[in-house]
Amino acid sequence: MVVGGRGTVAPPALVSRFSPDMADFHYDPEKNYDEQTLEQQRHIEQEVASTQALVSERLSLNQLIKDYSMEDNIYQQKIQDLRSRYRDIRKTRGDGNCFYRAFGFAYLERLLHDKSDIPRFKEVVNQSKTDLVALGYPQFTLDDFFDTFLDVLSRVESSCTPEELFDTFNDQGVSDYLIVTWRLLVTCYLQRNGEFFANFLEGHRDIKEFCCQEVEPMNKECDHIHITALTSAVGIPVRVEYMDRGEGGLVNHHDFPECSKPAITLLYRPGHYDILY
Amino acid sequence: MSTPARRRLMRDFMRLQNDPPAGVSGAPTDNNIMLWNAVIFGPTDTPFEDGTFKLTIKFTEEYPNKPPTVRFSSKMFHPNIYADGSICLDILQNRWSPTYDVSSILTSIQSLLDEPNPNSPANNLAAQLYQENRREYEKRVKAIVEESWIYQTSASTPE
Repeated sequence: MVVGGRGTVAPPALVSRFSPDMADFHYDPEKNYDEQTLEQQRHIEQEVASTQALVSERLSLNQLIKDYSMEDNIYQQKIQDLRSRYRDIRKTRGDGNCFYRAFGFAYLERLLHDKSDIPRFKEVVNQSKTDLVALGYPQFTLDDFFDTFLDVLSRVESSCTPEELFDTFNDQGVSDYLIVTWRLLVTCYLQRNGEFFANFLEGHRDIKEFCCQEVEPMNKECDHIHITALTSAVGIPVRVEYMDRGEGGLVNHHDFPECSKPAITLLYRPGHYDILY
Repeated sequence: MSTPARRRLMRDFMRLQNDPPAGVSGAPTDNNIMLWNAVIFGPTDTPFEDGTFKLTIKFTEEYPNKPPTVRFSSKMFHPNIYADGSICLDILQNRWSPTYDVSSILTSIQSLLDEPNPNSPANNLAAQLYQENRREYEKRVKAIVEESWIYQTSASTPE
C-alpha cells in the first residue's frame, strides 16, 4: 500500500543509513550535511518515481479496496460510502506536488469537454504574470514557465486529445513546469492578499517568507491555505472528499470556496490527493 | 537532446552574456552544458575586495525546478562556506524558487560574502572571528584574497 505524499514511504536507504552505525556517528559541525540530505531526498523521490506514474489511467474505485486490509473497517466502510457517489479514481504520484497535479489535470481534462472557461482562465493567468512582475519577480524566468503553461492551454483549446493530455502530464519536464506555474499563481495571490492570509500563519513567518519556504519550492505539500488561495486566484471551485481514520463510516467533504458549485472533485487521504469521477 | 533544463541553461547563458550583473561571470564548460565554471569578484569596500573567486555549478535535469550544486573551487574563509567549498545558503536549499536563474544565484552568493549569517556557521573559526575579532577575521580573508590571485595565475599558465 502506498498512501501519502513525499516522506511517508519508508525509504530503505534511510533506515539502513541511520540504524546500527548510528552509535559510531559523530556530528562534525564543519562538514556539509545538506548535500547528503538532498541526495537522500533525491533517492526517495526516485524510488517513488519508479513505482508511481505522475498521473495514472482512470481506475475503478474498486481498486481502492485492495489498498487497505479487509479488517480495516473504518477505511472499508468509507470506500463503500465513496462508491455510492463516485465511480472512478485517477491516482497521482505522491511527490508533494500531488494537489497541483491532480487539480491541474482534472481542470484541463474538463476544459477538453467544455472550452467555454478558457478565455476567462487565460486572462487570469496573464494578469497573474503581470502581478508577479509588479511584485518583483523576474520577467525572464516567469516567461519560461508561463509560456509553457499557456502553450498547453492553447493546445487544449485547439486540438488536444485526452490521450495527448495524459501524455503531457506524464512527461516530467512539461508536467513539472505546469506545477511551477500553479505554485506561482498561489504565491501571487497570497502575497497580494497578504494581510488577510497572515492571520492563518503560525509562528513568526510573514507571507513572503511562507511563500519562499512552503509554496514556491517544488515538492512542498499543499495545505488548506494553498487550496484556498489557488481556488480563489483562478476561480475554479474544488470539492475535496476527506478519507481519514475518523469514526462514522462516512467520507466528509469540503468545498473551496464554501457554498460553491465544484468544477472538480479530489480525494484526500492523509498527505495525498487523487482525482475522483 | 533538448530538455527543459538544457533549453533553460542556454537561455540563462545568453542572458548572462547580454545583461551581465556587476562582478560575476559564468559559462558552461566546453562539452557539458550541465557543468558551469563561474567567477565572483569580491565586492568593493569589503574585506573580499579584489578577490577573484572561482566556483563550479552542477545542474541536474530537474533544473530550474531544483537548485544546482554550487561549490567554490578557490579557497575561502567565510562563516557560511564549508572547507570543501560548498555553501550554506538557504536559496540553494529549502528556499529555492524555480524563478531564480544562474545570474541570481551568483549575485546572491556575492552578497553573502559581505553579509554572512554567523548563526548557521559552516566554518566555526570564521564565524567566531567575524563576531569577536573583526580585525583577525579581515586578515584571514585578505590572505585568501591574495591566494585567489596566485591560483588565478597558476591556473592560466600554459602547461
